[in-house]
Amino acid sequence: MAVQTRTAPRVRAQVSLWDRVKMPLFYGVLAAWTVVSIFPFWVSLVYSLKPVANAYDPPILWPIPFTLENYRTVLTEFELFPRWLLNSAIISVVLTVVRTLFCAMGGYAFARLRFPGRRFLFITMLFSMMVPGQVLIIPRFLVIGPGVIRNLTIGGTKIPTGFGLLDSLLAVIVPGIVDAFGLFMMTQFYRSIPKELEEAAAIDGAGRFGTFFRIVLPMSQTALITLALFTFQGTWNEFMWPLIVLRTPENFTLPLGLQWFRGEYYTLYSIVLAGSLFNSLPIILIFFLFQRYFIRSIAVTGLKGV
Amino acid sequence: MNMRMRRRLGEWLTAYIFLLPWLFIFLVFVLFSIGWAFYLSFTKYNLFSPPQWVGVEQYLKVIRNEDFLQHALPNTLKYVAVVVPTQTVLSLIIAFALDQKIRFRRFFRTAFYVPSVTSSVVISLIFLWLFSKIGIINQIFHLDIDWLNSPTYALPTIMIVNIWSTIGTMMLIFLAALQDIPESLYEAAEIDGANRFQIFRHITIPALRPAIFFVVTMGVIGCFQVFDQIYVMTSGGPLGATTTMAYLVYKWAFQSTNIRMGRASAVAFILSLMILVVVLIQRRFIEQPEEE
Amino acid sequence: MNRKLFAIVSAGLLLALLVAGCAPKTVTVTVEVPVERTVEVERTVEVEVPAERIEVRLSGWAANPQETALLESLLYRFSVENPDIVVKYEPITGDYWQAIKTLVASGEEPDIYYMDIFQFPFFAQQGVLLPLDDMMASTGTSRDAFIPDLIDAFTYEGKTYGIPKDFNTLALFYNKDMFAAAGLEEPTDDWTWDDLKAAAEALSDPDNNVYGLGVPADPGRFPIFVFQNGGKIMTDDFSDTLLDSPEVIEAAEFYTSFYFDGSGALPSDVGEGWQGTAFGKGNFAMVYEGGWLIPYLNEQFPDLNYGAVLPPEGPAGYGNLIFTVAYVISQNSEHPEAAWRVIDFLTNEASQTTVLESGFALPSRAALIDHPYFEEHPVSATIFRGAEGATPFMWGLYGSDVNEKMAQALERIYLEGQSPAESFQQAAAELRDIFKEG
Repeated sequence: MAVQTRTAPRVRAQVSLWDRVKMPLFYGVLAAWTVVSIFPFWVSLVYSLKPVANAYDPPILWPIPFTLENYRTVLTEFELFPRWLLNSAIISVVLTVVRTLFCAMGGYAFARLRFPGRRFLFITMLFSMMVPGQVLIIPRFLVIGPGVIRNLTIGGTKIPTGFGLLDSLLAVIVPGIVDAFGLFMMTQFYRSIPKELEEAAAIDGAGRFGTFFRIVLPMSQTALITLALFTFQGTWNEFMWPLIVLRTPENFTLPLGLQWFRGEYYTLYSIVLAGSLFNSLPIILIFFLFQRYFIRSIAVTGLKGV
Repeated sequence: MNMRMRRRLGEWLTAYIFLLPWLFIFLVFVLFSIGWAFYLSFTKYNLFSPPQWVGVEQYLKVIRNEDFLQHALPNTLKYVAVVVPTQTVLSLIIAFALDQKIRFRRFFRTAFYVPSVTSSVVISLIFLWLFSKIGIINQIFHLDIDWLNSPTYALPTIMIVNIWSTIGTMMLIFLAALQDIPESLYEAAEIDGANRFQIFRHITIPALRPAIFFVVTMGVIGCFQVFDQIYVMTSGGPLGATTTMAYLVYKWAFQSTNIRMGRASAVAFILSLMILVVVLIQRRFIEQPEEE
Repeated sequence: MNRKLFAIVSAGLLLALLVAGCAPKTVTVTVEVPVERTVEVERTVEVEVPAERIEVRLSGWAANPQETALLESLLYRFSVENPDIVVKYEPITGDYWQAIKTLVASGEEPDIYYMDIFQFPFFAQQGVLLPLDDMMASTGTSRDAFIPDLIDAFTYEGKTYGIPKDFNTLALFYNKDMFAAAGLEEPTDDWTWDDLKAAAEALSDPDNNVYGLGVPADPGRFPIFVFQNGGKIMTDDFSDTLLDSPEVIEAAEFYTSFYFDGSGALPSDVGEGWQGTAFGKGNFAMVYEGGWLIPYLNEQFPDLNYGAVLPPEGPAGYGNLIFTVAYVISQNSEHPEAAWRVIDFLTNEASQTTVLESGFALPSRAALIDHPYFEEHPVSATIFRGAEGATPFMWGLYGSDVNEKMAQALERIYLEGQSPAESFQQAAAELRDIFKEG
């Protein structure tokens, strides 16, 4: 029962039948869920590694015959591919940094600070997520682009009512610098951690800004990384909004460009799947690099190290 | 001005400065958009001609509409009722299990997160294939069901796909929150001789209340607004079996050859109101009363 | 090196020179014009660059990469001949109709965009498109040059709003090997419903997931049976539906009979979402599809041995659907004349010949029926000839509702065993409620 001893060193359990089967059972369930989680990904990987003409031939779980042709097509068919990659990277990196910071600041305000209108603003923030985005696309488009009222002039001066940012990466970045999801997440996170540390800092004479940037931010590493991961993933995959505001192929993001492989009437899925796996690659990589922050032994509460 | 007042004003100021980015985005984009859409829900608007004010007519048309009454409303409610509890409970259990000091946990964590990074194209294609009449699911269980083309099984299939694809994200939120439960609490409980279930029930769950509120709220919002997988996999069919409220919004707002933006907006606000009510109710149950 | 690369490199070169060319009056530009996969033509032309150029935006859904390259090469050719106009190509790679409707609603639509016949009535009725007749007269472009059914389809209240860029009809695709294995004569252009039924029955082998004919619950396939039975989907003024007329119900009885007697099936019965794949895999021996099936089969199922004939005639003779797309000009365009010159170029005989020779689409110009391409490509020829006596795929303002109810009527028959008569009567009743409600 080496496994069990490692798992719960301080609990001395009686050895019953249940104790003997529970760890194998536990690992069995985990393994089964692993298969369920990975299976679709695996199948699409296999599919994308077979020649188009052999897509429907068995076997389906192993790439025979093997080819990298679909990936080559994705990479070489469009000269603009590196450009799309760059655009996506710019948008995602900028938004990940900016949004994570702004959401942490706002979340801290909602969770820790007392100010008039807090409750009302919080509910309003929640409500803003509840209206389906489909009906908000056109007004949002008007604001970021041509303006709500064209040719609004006051005393002979033209007053712009929109940002005029169409067909620019800024049209994707500006409305995304902060979002309700991240704000809500950070609020809930700050609500769940003990206040003692901040209070100690406050007593030391650090101002509120000092406390936040020097004590609170470093302390919320796990939550910040989680939010950063979600933000990167969300902005990397975003489709509908960039589709409407970005016009020229030079300004496309990767998902917009890859969508080019879908035909009007029919689609060669081998290539589409190769493209979408290519698109998932950076996210998987980032997750793999950062997942150590989700491990308890390096928890950062600071109250008690292990 | 006394010290306390000054302190308080300073706190107000700090709060608003911290919230400034969001207030800017909210006032410029969100408030206007929601207001605009709300106005449209009282009009007849086809996108190409100016909206005409018709009062509550669109709301009345919606609540009398067959598609809404027979499909969108019951499907959405069923969907929320099944998916929200399932995804929350499963992801919580998985997160708790992976928070233990078990073997291969890095591997398991990455593996369990894979559904969240799998693109929606891949998800829809592969699940269409898994659940097709000659697909693997039928082969394993010796069934002969055309899952996504059956009015009975199409919605449950979409539910399964969505539970599958969201658990990873929720697991990660719980995992992050679990890192912040002080080790001292666990140690105290173990000294008291609590078993793992008791620890889970009496230490983990209460400490996770804010995270649970977050996950359930996002689950409720996401499920009430379920659209993507339906759009790609079933287009609301067969026979309206997977038509949800959010799908109806899209259908009336953009898909029709004759656009009904006013009515789509009315559905959108009925939907938002339903979500708000459910979120406020569950907030009472889950969240601890805030100390003022 | 691939063709796309040439196209883009030369485009870049062209643009760079055009920009730089403001100082010298004449520049030399090399343009690669890919005409066919194997042929690359290099031309050197002298381009006179005026100081001011008009920018015209053009949007369409993004077709596959090869087809995009074809359009771009035509556009480069245009810029060489018309150096005063710069065409900015802005493809929409996602949900085209949601995007274009958003753009039109905000007054930000491109000068020229693609218009599908199915969506055309609403755009025309709302006055967001520019009538083209005066401009056509100014360049001497005659309506008669185009296939009448196509140009008529884009005519609203006597005015021409779109110039068809290409079209498709349905043909009966059949698997030659399966016909040979069953010892059957291959279909001909004068087949009838009875021949179709007999062959479908002989070819079916449900135990092995093999069926004679694909009969999907698809509003883009079923109507041809209605036409062949002398019926219609809508009245001539599109104010009422005829889905409950005896001609439609009889057609539905015949169409769905394949499913019930095992001589036909839905694509989902063989585990596919589209019958093109089921045909390629040999699950279906015959399917009604359009020209888009040809490039798909070439790439996905290169070994398939197939042919195509005109859809078999029903009791009332021949019937078919026309799917067509036009270039239209926005009512808001600031440069309608320049936009018209672009459209006129893209649909002139030379450009349309290039389109035909590329093999991606069928041209809208009537004169091209005698082009030698059709002798070498009999399947394309069948689809081109199919337009005569066919009906455009368009059911008026409520087209999407009609399609949805028609599909549901077929689904009720297939999935719930409702009788065709009841099912289509229910569809018609539901539609009339929608027409009344608006």
